[in-house]
Amino acid sequence: MLILLGIYFILAISLQLAVGFAGLLNLGHIAFYAIGAYASALLALAGWPWWLCFLLAGVVAMIFGFLLSLPTNKLKGDYLALATLGFSFVVYVVALNWKGLTNGSLGLPGIPKPIFFGFIFSDNFNFLLLTFFVAFISYFIIRKITSSPFGKALEATRDDELATRILGKSTFKIKSIALMLSAFFAGLAGSLYAHYITFIDPSSFTLTQLIPIITIIIIGGLASLKGTIIATIILVLLPESLSFVGFPSSIVGPARQIIYSLILLWILIYKPRGFYGKVELE
Amino acid sequence: MDIFLQLLINSLIAGATYALVAIGFSLIYSTCRFIPFAHGGVLVFAAYALYFLFSILNLNFGLSVILAVIFAVFLGWLLNVAVYKQLRKRKASSAILLIASFALLVLLESFILLLFGAGAKTFDFIKVAKGLEFFGAIITPLQVFIIIFSIFLLWLLFFFMKKTKIGKAMRAVADNRDAAEIVGISSEKIYMWSFVIGSAIAGVAAVLIGLDRNLEPTMGTSLMIKGFTGAIIGGIGSVPGAILGSFLLGLVENFGIWFLPSGYKDAVAFLILFVFLLFKPQGILGIKKNC
Amino acid sequence: MNGCSFNVKKNAITALIGPNGAGKSTIFNLISGIIKEDAGKIIFNGKDITHTSPEQISNLGISRLFQQTRLFGNLTVKENLLLAVNNEDTRFWKNLFSINKTTREEEKIKEMLKLVEMEEFENKLARELSFGQKRLIELARTILNPHSFLILDEPVAGISPKLRKKIAGILLNLKKSDATILLIEHDMNFTLSVSDSILVLEKGEVIARGTPEEIRNSPKVLEAYLGGQTKS
Repeated sequence: MLILLGIYFILAISLQLAVGFAGLLNLGHIAFYAIGAYASALLALAGWPWWLCFLLAGVVAMIFGFLLSLPTNKLKGDYLALATLGFSFVVYVVALNWKGLTNGSLGLPGIPKPIFFGFIFSDNFNFLLLTFFVAFISYFIIRKITSSPFGKALEATRDDELATRILGKSTFKIKSIALMLSAFFAGLAGSLYAHYITFIDPSSFTLTQLIPIITIIIIGGLASLKGTIIATIILVLLPESLSFVGFPSSIVGPARQIIYSLILLWILIYKPRGFYGKVELE
Repeated sequence: MDIFLQLLINSLIAGATYALVAIGFSLIYSTCRFIPFAHGGVLVFAAYALYFLFSILNLNFGLSVILAVIFAVFLGWLLNVAVYKQLRKRKASSAILLIASFALLVLLESFILLLFGAGAKTFDFIKVAKGLEFFGAIITPLQVFIIIFSIFLLWLLFFFMKKTKIGKAMRAVADNRDAAEIVGISSEKIYMWSFVIGSAIAGVAAVLIGLDRNLEPTMGTSLMIKGFTGAIIGGIGSVPGAILGSFLLGLVENFGIWFLPSGYKDAVAFLILFVFLLFKPQGILGIKKNC
Repeated sequence: MNGCSFNVKKNAITALIGPNGAGKSTIFNLISGIIKEDAGKIIFNGKDITHTSPEQISNLGISRLFQQTRLFGNLTVKENLLLAVNNEDTRFWKNLFSINKTTREEEKIKEMLKLVEMEEFENKLARELSFGQKRLIELARTILNPHSFLILDEPVAGISPKLRKKIAGILLNLKKSDATILLIEHDMNFTLSVSDSILVLEKGEVIARGTPEEIRNSPKVLEAYLGGQTKS
């Protein structure tokens, strides 16, 4: 419910940074989410303090963000999308098969709730506050950086990479930082998810999980933080009404995806700039 | 030697399977210039349609196959008219078309999940085949058929593209759309034909693959991934390249599991994709046009 | 290119002219590091910059104006110009903690806008400008980019005569402040009025070089330009 809203928001706003501001069509965002979740879960299950697991989730995801930025630097549009999609897929396959690390499809149960300075975030309300706090911090940081000159350099890179380089800026560095920051927050979101549900398995991190996030950032509008906020609220609360009506989860799952894909298609055809968007895809 | 031959045979089977997917994909990409993820969705839809017609409605097998392929064609045509054409009318970029296609793939897969559930399904048509022995390696008659058929399909397509009017028009559009339009070729019509033919191939592929393996709602995604990896390796936009690339992919995948546990086969496909995207995006045979 | 070799004099304005397809923009792209050389060298201030990336070349002091407008349409005029002034905007931490105060840069921008008489456009989105206005801002941006060598590809193409005079004035002033300028132009009047020396290119090689007087009277040049512009 609202906690998932917070988590989705973090995922959406971090993807917005990469896609809307940096112009990187990163279809592998869910992989960072997965990496963060698994990193946090494994460290927590090994007894590490929660706050460290949480931060490291972001850091590990960020490292993968950097690694992904290396080969994809010269790729454009379609090919970048394919490569990042591939990355996501590889992460999923590894999660499924590296049983020694991730326990494969059986997943990791019993992930402990966050404990911070002896305070256990055991009930939903506490966790909600935690999630919203993290969401707020991520919004704040992303807003700060996108309205700063760095953000302008980022948008310049998105709009005309060559012209930006001609002005003496290393667009590789700019894009890499954007991807790393994007991955960092996705990793944090992953950690929150893992400690909320207390059980993770590869099925939460398939390629299809990207659809709600992409729908959010496109409906809200690319390069619009305000749009992302509004779109997250509307799009996450919408299908929750489905579960209220009492459908079983085997129906709710696919039904949600169907609704999201239809909304995404509709927006792409009739309003590709979204409601508050500055730019269109590509 | 036994193992080597078996791996080789497995490579051929895998390669042929992927080729069936890659051919349709490549055909559509070469004319329409975007990544048609939804092609995998058409495939899985056709496979489940066959299942529905044959195993649930208990229709005659041959009839089911024909209906399934017709259904695939209809679905491909519908996607083109309802979605892609609308986007093209609004001058959508290839990135938008790509996302739309991805959304369609998820849409179609979700429908299958909704209607049929996540469990694997099989056809009861071909009895659990006893594999033929071939110098110590095993291959089923169906698999032999798949290999032969994919080669036959290549020949058929080659003939179609070289000799028929529509085929030549498709090649013209693939090569240079604006020039083709100037000489009077309607690119919308060609796009439609690409989807029709591509989806028909997907339909046939669905039947063959469905017979050889279990049906799962996610098979569309994984086959699509293998398909476009094969297409990119061989040269995106080149149909013969798609076939070459698919067989190469089959080879590397199957010999790769000499070193890796078999579950990683899928990851191998993408690692190869990565390598090619980085170093040789035109693939082996491809004539690339930068979007 | 076809065995093309030349020197550009410091603190002077050199023009590169020639019929279409002669290779002028190619030379610029080679200098800017946008295309790779198969053979040959480019030496700048005694340094071999043959295999350097575009951003490094810019940071060595070579500032480029493209033939096609390459302003960032989604950014304002001010933001476009700010990008040129320095590279502090690529420093992530500095920007995150807002230690990047841009007041001095903004002053420089205001001065530049006054120079090109476009002060009121400071906060307008670049894509809302007319073609001539865009070119002017782009020239401003190129000049704001710290440089010791300016390479300008058709700075006055499509610009009104009044504006051309103004731009000629700006270039001559830059020369007075020790700039070195290499430009490509098809407008002969403009070229002849600002240049100290002219290089004529045809089919990838230099076929003539000299002062504007010499070039104007050179039979070789007239031949190469058969049907070309002499006055516009």
